[in-house]
Amino acid sequence: MLQPMTAKELEYIADSMSNEDLLMKQCAAVVATGTTPALTNLCSQMIQTHQQHYDSLLHAINHHLQMAPTQPQ
Amino acid sequence: MFQQQKQSILTEEDLAGSILGDLKRVVREYATAATESTCPDIRQLFTKLMDSTLALQGQMFQAMQQANMYNVSSPALRQELDKQAKQYQQTKQKTNQFLQQNLGQRQGQTMYTPNMQHQSGQHQQGTQTYYM
Repeated sequence: MLQPMTAKELEYIADSMSNEDLLMKQCAAVVATGTTPALTNLCSQMIQTHQQHYDSLLHAINHHLQMAPTQPQ
Repeated sequence: MFQQQKQSILTEEDLAGSILGDLKRVVREYATAATESTCPDIRQLFTKLMDSTLALQGQMFQAMQQANMYNVSSPALRQELDKQAKQYQQTKQKTNQFLQQNLGQRQGQTMYTPNMQHQSGQHQQGTQTYYM
């Protein structure tokens, strides 16, 4: 059964999206400037994984949107 | 006039090391988030994200190690392993005794046959190990 998202959960989700965002940019920096193929290939793949993580987190918020109250409880 | 592009002063190794550290931190944060979630599907989401991030951290660590970018710690000496194993085998036996004494039936009536007399190498019934 779907429960309303708590403020704490929302905060963790938002912080996590910031983390994923930064990680994908850091990986991009390695891809753009790195010279070790094993590392640049790995970072290239990791960008996709971080994007998926980000999307999952965003989706969770949207999914719980309808159940969220409009008044403080 | 050409505008000079500023290069990052951080090496590839620095950048990779920074990612490695962040992945480790994010694993911990997902674990904490999971423990503090009330909604089951949110808890499950954080658990999956934690597992996925942990796998990434492992891959990054391996890649860095293979590229000689990481200084791994030296192996522990055999005598140290032996010492710890012996010490904790003793602790295990003492605690087993403790459990049997405290969880056993009323005085004079015991369902347990203490097996603490047996050698430490003996396989105990019902033990499940996560290693191998």
